[in-house]
Amino acid sequence: MSIKASAQNTKPRMPVSLETFSNYAIIAAFVIIFIAFSIIADGFLTGENMLNLVSNKVVLLAIVALGMTIVIGAGGIDLSVGVSIDLSSMVFIMLIAAGYAGAIGIIGGLAAACCVGIANAILINKLKINPFLATLGVLFIGQSIQRLSTQGGVPIYLTRSEFSATFEAIARSNFLGVPTPIVVMILCILVVYLALHRSVFGRYVAALGAQAEVARYSGIRVPFNLSIVFTACAMLSGITGILLSSTVRSYVPFSGDAFLLDAIGATFIGTAISAERRPSVIGTLIGVFLLAVMRNGLLLIGWNFFWQQVGIGVLVFCVLGLSFGLKKRSE
Amino acid sequence: MTAAIEMRGITKTFGPVKALTDATLMVKSGTIHGLVGANGAGKSTIIKVLAGIYARDSGTVMVQGKELGAITPAGIEAEGVHFIHQDRLLVPTSTVAEAIFLRNEPRFGPFINHREMYRRSAELLHQYFGLELDPRALISDLSTAQQKIVQITRALANDAKILVLDEPTAALVKKEVDNLFAVLRRLKADGLAIVFISHYMAEIEEICDVVTVLRNGTDVGVVTPSDVGIGQIVEMMTNRDTSEMYPRRKAAIGGPILSAKNLTVKNTFQNVSFDLHQGEILGVTGLLGSGDKELLQTLFGEIDSDGGEIILNNAPVRFRTPVQAVSNGIAKIPEDRRAHGVATGLSVGENISLASLDQVSAKGFVQLGSEARNVDALISELGIMTPDRQTLVKNLSGGNQQKVVVAKWLSCNSQVYLLDEPTVAVDVGAKVEIYNLMNRLATEGKALIFLSSDLEEITEMCDRILVIYRGELIGEYKHGEIDSDQLLAVASGATIEERKSL
Amino acid sequence: MSVQSEISAPSARRLDSKALAKLSIRLGAFVAFGGILLYFALTARGFTSPYNLMTVVEQSAILGFLAFGMTIVFAGTGTDVQRGGIDLSMAANAGLCAAVYAIMMREGYGNALAIPVTLCTGMAIGLLNGIAVVTLQIIPLLGTLAVMNIAAGLELTLTENTVVPVKTPLTKVIAFGSFMGISTLAWCLIVVSALLVWLMHFHRIGLRLYAVGGHLEAARAAGINTGRYIYGAYIAAGLLAGITSILIISRLSSSTPGTGLMLLPILAAALLGTVFSRRFIPTIGGTLLATLFIGFLANGFQLLGISSYWVAGVQGALILLVVAVTSFAKRN
Repeated sequence: MSIKASAQNTKPRMPVSLETFSNYAIIAAFVIIFIAFSIIADGFLTGENMLNLVSNKVVLLAIVALGMTIVIGAGGIDLSVGVSIDLSSMVFIMLIAAGYAGAIGIIGGLAAACCVGIANAILINKLKINPFLATLGVLFIGQSIQRLSTQGGVPIYLTRSEFSATFEAIARSNFLGVPTPIVVMILCILVVYLALHRSVFGRYVAALGAQAEVARYSGIRVPFNLSIVFTACAMLSGITGILLSSTVRSYVPFSGDAFLLDAIGATFIGTAISAERRPSVIGTLIGVFLLAVMRNGLLLIGWNFFWQQVGIGVLVFCVLGLSFGLKKRSE
Repeated sequence: MTAAIEMRGITKTFGPVKALTDATLMVKSGTIHGLVGANGAGKSTIIKVLAGIYARDSGTVMVQGKELGAITPAGIEAEGVHFIHQDRLLVPTSTVAEAIFLRNEPRFGPFINHREMYRRSAELLHQYFGLELDPRALISDLSTAQQKIVQITRALANDAKILVLDEPTAALVKKEVDNLFAVLRRLKADGLAIVFISHYMAEIEEICDVVTVLRNGTDVGVVTPSDVGIGQIVEMMTNRDTSEMYPRRKAAIGGPILSAKNLTVKNTFQNVSFDLHQGEILGVTGLLGSGDKELLQTLFGEIDSDGGEIILNNAPVRFRTPVQAVSNGIAKIPEDRRAHGVATGLSVGENISLASLDQVSAKGFVQLGSEARNVDALISELGIMTPDRQTLVKNLSGGNQQKVVVAKWLSCNSQVYLLDEPTVAVDVGAKVEIYNLMNRLATEGKALIFLSSDLEEITEMCDRILVIYRGELIGEYKHGEIDSDQLLAVASGATIEERKSL
Repeated sequence: MSVQSEISAPSARRLDSKALAKLSIRLGAFVAFGGILLYFALTARGFTSPYNLMTVVEQSAILGFLAFGMTIVFAGTGTDVQRGGIDLSMAANAGLCAAVYAIMMREGYGNALAIPVTLCTGMAIGLLNGIAVVTLQIIPLLGTLAVMNIAAGLELTLTENTVVPVKTPLTKVIAFGSFMGISTLAWCLIVVSALLVWLMHFHRIGLRLYAVGGHLEAARAAGINTGRYIYGAYIAAGLLAGITSILIISRLSSSTPGTGLMLLPILAAALLGTVFSRRFIPTIGGTLLATLFIGFLANGFQLLGISSYWVAGVQGALILLVVAVTSFAKRN
């Protein structure tokens, strides 16, 4: 008689319903909120509203949140996404303003974002600073860079018609009938999904997120993979910066800051759908849509911007509490 | 001798799992009472019931004649029962004095009397352990043995009447174990009751007056070790014949696959040369600090060598990182399984394929079908007890987790396996499983280096044994040439004459 | 049977070199602090004037109080910010409390009612944090993030994103009064610092709080009611936010939007402070020194004519430096 039966060795599970419910809590909440707003908010369920919602609110946050998903999946966090957004936006607009072609501007912007990612990677890999503090430091430094480059935060407006062609091409054109920003978002979703959930790299990310030491001892190149993680996140934020600038035809310093908290929130809301509370692309997208729908719905039922903030804060709080709290109860 | 602890009819279930069924534990003051049992037998559960971490479903608990209702950690401590946990539950950033007096801090009005705290800490440490430990030292700067001492001192400072020690000797060396036993005997003479939980049978035999054996959640006997002997106790634990303890195999040893020539790591070991053959189990042993662990770490790329060379498959190699070692077919079963061997938050399947993803992927994408087939094959081949491959590894027993580690390396066709203390903190039944696994690997032609400080298992399981002493390879023995007593002598630096006299 | 060892105390040797490294880092931090102050004293005109020094200390009071709150939360939940704890809602809480106080005063309720309500508001937000982290088991980063949004939103609804002016005798006293030559704000800083140093470092509450944050399991096994302590930490932080809000109003004569932006300097102060402690953990004294350092740094820059745009970047670089160096020391 050798090892005890597996029942003895496996942790006993509580009633399946409670644990599963905690996984579906977010989805259920989303459906309920969606239906509720459809009923009580005029104009919520119209095609125009939905399209507007997705184009304006969802696209930008989604792309940043995808980057954040990769980083949190690898066990880290990136507080500097706002910096990546802003610096790419800044370089992009400055190049356009100097007369360069749109393509050059895009490349420049992405390169700037890439530098932020590489800076993070160096701090984390070479100086062994933990991701929270490393990206916090980069956040501080990024603020200074922006202030110094713009005399304290003066935006650059490029609303003159000579620039409009480029911006139209990026933000207002259609690709096969779908607005280009949405196409970009879909592409990003596909790429990140394949990378995180189907590729070898995604497995390495999961291993890093679970236990980085084990990954190292299993022959995985930890510094290399971490570098890719942080650079990818920065690049995705860079894409967001370019789309953002094209939409508002300007570079407004510190506008990236608003995305940080929502990106973190969306990613963690998304972890609630997995039993092990792991970040996922689907989860993050649900989180993004949840936040966007909440904002939109509250606006349409007449809540002013300030009450929207409160409403969303409370809703997120309840949703998180339900998900984490139930999970804890089921253990 | 009065009854210190009387636990009767304790039952505890977790959902469908019956962890304890009508278990009894009776401990008298002035005795050292051993508690043994395989993993899953209920040892830790019954202790956690006593500690107030779990609430019992039924049964009575009496401490020093007083019946207790619901137990809380603070409450049981107030009754004089102190627990020295296996995971040294000390706050790393606190000082020795703070750790000793946490929750019983000496006061001076509304202030903590720091001076008194330091004075009494030093006094207690000196009185009981003869130790001059700085009360201001940080816990994180102490060695494992010193931390255990702090834990015990805390109990003594709080007037403990009953001490429960859970695997107290797990990370200690012999001299520290002897010190600890001297202290325990002294406390016993002072009238304390001591519960001693351990897997180390030899120590149970040495220190315990009486032993309760648990199996399958209930007590199957209370015996006196000096009367019945270890063999009998182990049989009661596992209900199996202990002569099967070390499975034999027919060794078929092939040509050399790995050679070390004058391998040196500064200040750690120098000029170590040996050959490792296919199908061979090569044992390595030495005192703590002798350099044996570091030898394995160098072979796996955790440490870079300063001199000499490693020849693998007739070609010289140099490993600066584990990545390089792994890609050359070297595998390591690390000592700290949960920290370095398996990611407990990931599933069995994910862990098993972690090192060999390139085999089941095309153009960077994982082929889930082939992966599943590989994983299932390994699960059945190694007999890993798991409901399915999606189960998280943290839900598996220690022995099964160890098998997952091996499966990980099997799936990437490693040729050389470095095993660092693979049977530490693993119960008797699982140990045999691991020995069988080692035999199977060797039979399949893999080459194994088996590092252990358990000399009995080294002498029984290995084809050859290398002994490292102060960084030098001082002995090489074939199976059967040396027994565990002689091996201990060699490893401790005994001269040839001294060895001969054994 | 296991193997003997002749190496009895490797830790003794390890202790020496490790202790030396740690000591030199702490010493280095003090030297750097002193060195920079000296540099400013020598090169910046007006740096050493009593008026200037007092102004910096006053300005530091607000940051200091909030940083103390963050320090308390760090102590009770662990400084490993991803796994351990944090209170992202501190700055927004202070902003909310300021709004509450300002509105109440504007509506004529008077200090006797306004002050308790303000402090209760701060503690209520702290309680909310405690519920999120302890009862609902939401990870602190996320939980306090959600509460921060709630607090910031409530502040906006109360003030409608405008400035609410306040002028009362109390705020005048705080802003302009002085006692024995030292301004009220500076006194507040001195008194509260002393109080918190006593509470955190000389009282068993502080010792047990550090235990809870240092190793939750160990604290629990020692019989400490860890949930209660974590609740307490967040509520204390909330109370400090409430007190600080009154100071903010006094300095600005109003409740102004944008208090939430203080979050980063608060984090910086609490994190930088660890380098001044022997164990490299957040302490009241360390946080106070770091707060003053940040204040003097900005002040020195200003007097030297260095653009204030550099300040944030320098703070960031300092954080990175301190963290890299202390984690290096702790590892070896």
